[in-house]
Amino acid sequence: MNSKILHLIGGGADIGTSRTFWIGFIIVVILFALYPIQVSEFRASNAAYYLLNIPLGLGMALLWGYCGVLSFGHVAYFGIAGYTYGIIAGNMVGNSFGLIAGVIGGLLASTLVAGVFAYFVFYARVREWIIPILTLVLTILLETFLGQTAGYQWRVGSVLLGGYNGMTGIPSIQIGSFVFMGYSFYYLCLIIVLVCYVALRMLLNSNFGQVVIAIREDPLRTEMFGYDIRARKWLVFVLSAVLASISGLLYVQWGNYITPSQVGLLSAALPVIWASVGGRSSLLAVIIATLILNWVNFTLSAQGNQYAMVIIGTALVITMLFFPRGIVVMTAEWIGKFTNRSNNEATH
Amino acid sequence: MEIDALALSLTYQFGTNAAFLFLSALGLIVILGMMNIINLAHGELMMMGAYAATIANNQFGLPFPLAVIVSFFAVAIFGAILELLIVRRFYGRELSALVVTWGISLILGQGTFLVFGPFMPAIKIPGGSYSYGGFSFSEYWLVLIGISISLVIGLYWLYRYTSYGLQARATMQNAEIAKALGVPTNRVYTLTFSLGAGLAGLSGALLAPTSTIAPFMGQQFVAPAFITVVVGGATNVISGAVGSSVLLSAIKTPIGMAYGAFLGTVALLVAALVIIRIMPDGISATLQKIMDRRRARHTL
Amino acid sequence: MNNDNQSDQPETDITDGKSSKENFGPKITRRSFLQGSAAVSAGIAAPIYLAGVSKSFAAKGGAVKIGHIEDLSGNLAVYGVQKDHGAQLAVKEINAGKTLKGGPVGSGGLGSLSNYAANPPIMGNGDKDLKFVNDGGELTESGMAFVEDKDVLVDSGDSGILGREVELIHPDGQSNNNIWQQLTRKLIQEDKVDCLVAGFTSAEREAIRPIVDQFKQLYIYTNQYEGGVADSNTFCTGAICEQQVIPVVDYMIQKFGPRVYTIAADYNFGQLTAAWTRAFAPQVGGEIIGEEFVPLSVSDFTTSIAKVQAAKPDWVFTLLVGSNQSNYYPQAAATGLEYPMASTVNMAQGYEHRRFKPPSLNRMYNCVNYIEEIPTARNRAFVKRWYEMFPKDPYIGQMAQNTYFSVHMYAKAVRIAGTTDQEEVKRAFESGLHLEAPEGTVFMEPSTHHCSHYIRLATADADHNVSFVREWPSIQPWWLQRLGVNLVRNKEYKQYIPDEDPFFKS
Repeated sequence: MNSKILHLIGGGADIGTSRTFWIGFIIVVILFALYPIQVSEFRASNAAYYLLNIPLGLGMALLWGYCGVLSFGHVAYFGIAGYTYGIIAGNMVGNSFGLIAGVIGGLLASTLVAGVFAYFVFYARVREWIIPILTLVLTILLETFLGQTAGYQWRVGSVLLGGYNGMTGIPSIQIGSFVFMGYSFYYLCLIIVLVCYVALRMLLNSNFGQVVIAIREDPLRTEMFGYDIRARKWLVFVLSAVLASISGLLYVQWGNYITPSQVGLLSAALPVIWASVGGRSSLLAVIIATLILNWVNFTLSAQGNQYAMVIIGTALVITMLFFPRGIVVMTAEWIGKFTNRSNNEATH
Repeated sequence: MEIDALALSLTYQFGTNAAFLFLSALGLIVILGMMNIINLAHGELMMMGAYAATIANNQFGLPFPLAVIVSFFAVAIFGAILELLIVRRFYGRELSALVVTWGISLILGQGTFLVFGPFMPAIKIPGGSYSYGGFSFSEYWLVLIGISISLVIGLYWLYRYTSYGLQARATMQNAEIAKALGVPTNRVYTLTFSLGAGLAGLSGALLAPTSTIAPFMGQQFVAPAFITVVVGGATNVISGAVGSSVLLSAIKTPIGMAYGAFLGTVALLVAALVIIRIMPDGISATLQKIMDRRRARHTL
Repeated sequence: MNNDNQSDQPETDITDGKSSKENFGPKITRRSFLQGSAAVSAGIAAPIYLAGVSKSFAAKGGAVKIGHIEDLSGNLAVYGVQKDHGAQLAVKEINAGKTLKGGPVGSGGLGSLSNYAANPPIMGNGDKDLKFVNDGGELTESGMAFVEDKDVLVDSGDSGILGREVELIHPDGQSNNNIWQQLTRKLIQEDKVDCLVAGFTSAEREAIRPIVDQFKQLYIYTNQYEGGVADSNTFCTGAICEQQVIPVVDYMIQKFGPRVYTIAADYNFGQLTAAWTRAFAPQVGGEIIGEEFVPLSVSDFTTSIAKVQAAKPDWVFTLLVGSNQSNYYPQAAATGLEYPMASTVNMAQGYEHRRFKPPSLNRMYNCVNYIEEIPTARNRAFVKRWYEMFPKDPYIGQMAQNTYFSVHMYAKAVRIAGTTDQEEVKRAFESGLHLEAPEGTVFMEPSTHHCSHYIRLATADADHNVSFVREWPSIQPWWLQRLGVNLVRNKEYKQYIPDEDPFFKS
């Protein structure tokens, strides 16, 4: 039983299966856990921002990297979850059940929209390359709608949608009188990211995951084996939307605020970029890329550097030119080759 | 207000809206529709065309029509360089191409901002206006509608009746076989991408007088361009783009006139979703089917 | 040493009856060069808050840190870079020992009448009651209390602020709300700035205001906006609806007629400004005959233009925002749309009259608190100083000027408070502070934390030459007062919208 779980976690669906890798992984997790102790509350909360984007990136890796379906509009589910949480929790201020209701409501709302949309797309067998555009149109539609919701006619209960200025004063999650802020919010994000990562690895190493990967490799053959690929694609799409919603829910905790630009074209491109730069065929690679790209971008902007966008653009072009399968994935492969060779030499 | 004036105005609006969609999509028709490169730098190529035309017109005193031609060639040359250096490694890898072109668009947008500053002085809209029954019509937009129609004819001729067109169609359909048959596919790719870039520059220059000339002006064209091309479909990119810009404009114009710009925009987006759902291969595939059926009936 | 410093200041000269006498002479017209309580009280206050300051930077306390976030890259960089330059210019001047004239106004506020006697009254004790023996003679002058000096930039007698150098920390917001939130936390928690000056769009302001309130950070928002922010930690130095919409609507209805067509950006600013117009136009005999809201992404205005023509208004109120939407002007001009236009956002912000070829903005009327073309001597001097420092800049916009004077206002408030302690500085901001900005006199209204402004109605002709058809030397930010906001007494942290005021119910 135990070994079965270990196999699910440690299986080959993601880079890093060796003992050395897992020791390194645990050390890194410990370092992350110790990080807030050495730094100011600001640094911790900033790092929490990098962390909270990871589920969105993981959703992208799951859907695009493992299932071969690209969504250019996953930020829509991020936004729907964030807004729904804001509406429910904002209407039930002072009631601790309200916050949990907000979380559940946010997840349900985005699951529902994703489910309907994915049904519409996959059961109609829409061409693969049109899906990114369809999802993009959906998220632009959402942005256009939310942008004009200033004013009282767009009040849900006591909460104003707020139009382009965004929804403000969204309450933070709390247990009893303990509010997740600063350091504690960092740990909340870290734990959620770890759970998401391990759970996804287990999922992808399971039979279901293997079928999903088979769909990516050869949908026709997989279907001939008798698997209903539409249902599986549907499920993967909804799962990745749930991951995006988790990011959305954490985001509104972090800033107590959400705006329509969160579901706009610029935001929509980001998860796709994280996945491409790291290497979309690996969960860990996407995690690393999400962390590093967010950090670089913030560091450049904090310096007031006008060249930030030029630098990021150049980095993207170079990465895609020289690391077509992602910088982290190809580095890992290179390390893998190197260690294999030295192992082989040792045994000879 | 007379009914005929309103009808005339609606026709004019329909024409300009369709021409706007078509011109926005012009370069992308070739680059996305034919070459299957999801070019997120499309807006920036249009921006470059607008800048080239503005500089040629304002600084070198070229007359506007000449400036437009200059900008076609300027952006086409840039496109060729881009293809040789970067884009050629991404054929068949649509989604990597998406990220690369996104990177290029960031560099071009912010780079232009750093070099040329926040705005360029505008180009005066050539021509005057006519008025009838309380409505008035811009000569320049009428010219743009005419130019759009002649561009459609020109592109159709290029792809149907020239040897380049034949080679390009062959290469895009199956590069391997085309190569085996002696088509210089690499050159065809470079030429085609360069043509697409040049056309984006051309439409950027044509739309420049109606627009703010700014480094990030390209962003306004990206969403309409992609929607037009995708709704049009890849079976026959030219007829598809014409069909989709006409159809989308036919939906947007009356709703915009009756209920305002917000619902006009929403109608356009919803229509795009519905059309893609009903015709997953785009309008051009449906048109093709109808034509085939007609032809079949004739031969019977 | 101290005396030397003070005698350098024109401010102290004003209190000296003899030397200022010529300023009060009869040749000076009522509206222009009259001096009153504002300048006088500033002069009296000067020695108090400037006492004991030397010219070189004192080492203790380190630099005074002003955090300034604007968009230096991305879509909004067009406006952000201007504002950033405004802050840089102000900081440079403060560090060079300069300040804009001004100080606490005291009772009465701006626009109050002030009287002067030739000689000081002599008091005596006649019976038991205190009586005037001599009232000082006839009053020699009375008038509105405004200063229209040529040189409003004077020696502060200070170096930096309280002898400490001013350091400007100005990161790039990248036109991205998330980056704005991160940067705000960094500036407050890590750099521990003494004052935060930031924000172009209302969305950016609303993104960072919760963080500002969490840390009780002194925050200055320098943009023109839709109004309504009542926040104990926030001071708004841009013009708001009641200062811009009402004057221009009133003027346009008088001049061109009552039939108004509004075309506005479909988001908070556009919708709320349109609500102001809808509520106010009937009060001055106007009528809104049509209204259209355009999403920010729209850049093709053919249908909107046809709708305007179908409505046949007397004039069009264009509340269009951003570079996509300013396409309306050349497109409307090319279509032959020749209605007079009014706005509160164009020209002064994105200098459309310089960018578009004439006559796109012919007969455009715009209510502004600042525009580069203001012909006053003090503004010409300001424009000259600006281009000396930033010769490549294309234009000095309204918000850039707001940022410039806001930084100077902060320096003044710190000198009054005598400390950079943020609660003390907020109190100083609530002391009835006035300042001689390049636009004219501005006054920080204590109860609402908004500024009164010198509002001008600027218009462009067929050649895009700017002229000024009407001026309002001091328009108060009165709307929040009507709602009962008094931030001096009651702390608040919200933004009111017109729906909360019965006046706007239609």
